[in-house]
Amino acid sequence: MIEKNTPSRIIFNIFNYGFMALFAVACIAPIWHVLMASVSNPRLLMGTSGILWKPLGDITWKGYEIVFQNKSILVGYANTLFYVAWHAVMGTLCTLIAGYLVSRKSFKLATPLMLFILFTMMFNGGLIPGYMVIRSLGMLNTRWVMLIPGLMNAFYITMMKSAFEQLSSSYEESAKLDGAGPLTILFRILVPLVKANIAVIVMFTIVMQWNSWYPASIYLPAERELWPLQLIMREILIQNDSSKVLMGSDAMAKADFTNNLVKYCVTVVGTLPILCVYPFAQKYFVTGATLGGVKG
Amino acid sequence: MSAKQKTKSKEHRTWKQDFLMNKWLYILVVPIFLYFFIFSYLPMFGLVMAFEDFKPTLGFLRSTWVGLKNFTDFFTGPNFLTILRNTLVISLLGLVIGFPLTVVYALLLNEIHARFFKKTVQTIHYLPYFVSMVVIAGLIIEFCATNGLFTDFMVNVFHIKRENLLQNPKYFWGLNLITDIWQGLGYGAIFFVSSITSVSQELHEAAAIDGAGRLKRAWHITIPGIMPAIVTMLVLKCGMILQVGSDKILLLYNASIYETADVIATHVQRMGIEKMQYGYSAAVGLFNSVVGTILLLGSNYVSKKMTDNSIV
Repeated sequence: MIEKNTPSRIIFNIFNYGFMALFAVACIAPIWHVLMASVSNPRLLMGTSGILWKPLGDITWKGYEIVFQNKSILVGYANTLFYVAWHAVMGTLCTLIAGYLVSRKSFKLATPLMLFILFTMMFNGGLIPGYMVIRSLGMLNTRWVMLIPGLMNAFYITMMKSAFEQLSSSYEESAKLDGAGPLTILFRILVPLVKANIAVIVMFTIVMQWNSWYPASIYLPAERELWPLQLIMREILIQNDSSKVLMGSDAMAKADFTNNLVKYCVTVVGTLPILCVYPFAQKYFVTGATLGGVKG
Repeated sequence: MSAKQKTKSKEHRTWKQDFLMNKWLYILVVPIFLYFFIFSYLPMFGLVMAFEDFKPTLGFLRSTWVGLKNFTDFFTGPNFLTILRNTLVISLLGLVIGFPLTVVYALLLNEIHARFFKKTVQTIHYLPYFVSMVVIAGLIIEFCATNGLFTDFMVNVFHIKRENLLQNPKYFWGLNLITDIWQGLGYGAIFFVSSITSVSQELHEAAAIDGAGRLKRAWHITIPGIMPAIVTMLVLKCGMILQVGSDKILLLYNASIYETADVIATHVQRMGIEKMQYGYSAAVGLFNSVVGTILLLGSNYVSKKMTDNSIV
């Protein structure tokens, strides 16, 4: 459509483009600030306030050296990677199977199972009874508490169910005639057809798990060895206590304030992987957000 | 005859026939059922602790029954009105200010026609949503410190007293709202951005020929076109009014601002996990779940009536 460029239109455009650009700056600036602070001269950093657009003083990698030599941080990183990978693989697999089960038209338990699962979306026991159940299962302060609860949820299963229901049943019937069992049908025939939906679930799971800190803070209070990175970051950034993490780091680092860099470096290390991934995974998140809004 | 029997619909099969036909499915149901039973239904039964002076050593069955004591403690306690007010105010601010901004943002984004620019800014606007809450809260704490960037800005522009903004209860609602908008604007608008693109282009063209300007067309075509989407979202958000995102508040608040920052979820977490008043916290949680479920079902019903969309 061809638009006339009336003066009011031009003024509107200037403001609109200006606002969009400004908001983009506001979204990036804090992250950029952290990135620049992480390589700044720690002594100069102490005395300044405001957003850093470029590193203060000469670029230094000392903060990163501390971070990458620190055992707690590395263990936290490894834990996060393990939890993310586990949920991306096992969580998705369970969701897939559950979604398949509840979408079977020729299966008497499909509808009862769906109602059983859907009810958990409407009502839940809440934090404390959930905590007590996990506690009486003996899962507190063990790795299992990060792996088993949270593996599936009603929402993703509903998503998977409607993906299966949109497929024509002819794929399945012809496979059945060829003698394929239900698992062969699921993994060989149906999974390739719903891989876009699976990708949405995997992407969401990865980001949510990577950023998750709350369950670990409740269920792993005494097991620092099992903490995901976010919980270590919470201690350094929110509780402003890097002493436990940096225990035993050399006196030199303390004397020249390098320890102050650690909070920026650990933020960068914990955030950059997700920020590198999300622009490419964007289309999946758009789908997910749209599905999340409405189920027809 | 046997072929006919195989194609019998599931209503006409006996359980035994169904089992023989779907053996594998019956096996797979077991772990799925157990998962939801253990982690979703057992806690529901566990809610019995809300009526007990619950002691973990005695368990659900042997703890002393106290009837409604935990509930009366909550409703008559000093915190009830404060946390209910905080929960509602924080939710309503998001609903009344944050939500319309998301719609306006989507409309403005729709007016950007340079494709590369649009794609780029949109991607950047999503960014804060993907940064972890721990990092976001860390940034907020740094910028709101006594000599932080945001404090500087507020002191210079609004001439407020220089102090740590997160220590003063009167700033918390504002700070929470602004940072919520900053973090969620781009991502929250996705739904509206995609429904705007499905509004008929022909209507726009016809209106343009009739001489309707951009503003007129936005008002008379785009907004009515996405109204069902707006109503659906609004109604569903009303249904979740008690479910204030507590993880951000848990990271940001401190004893000096409980007065404005403490919400139902944070109260449950503090009383239950930290102070170990299990029965009391379970009662507060049960109150929250019941009201939440009523609101959710109600809003879902309204949404279905008004727009044919629903979530459950």
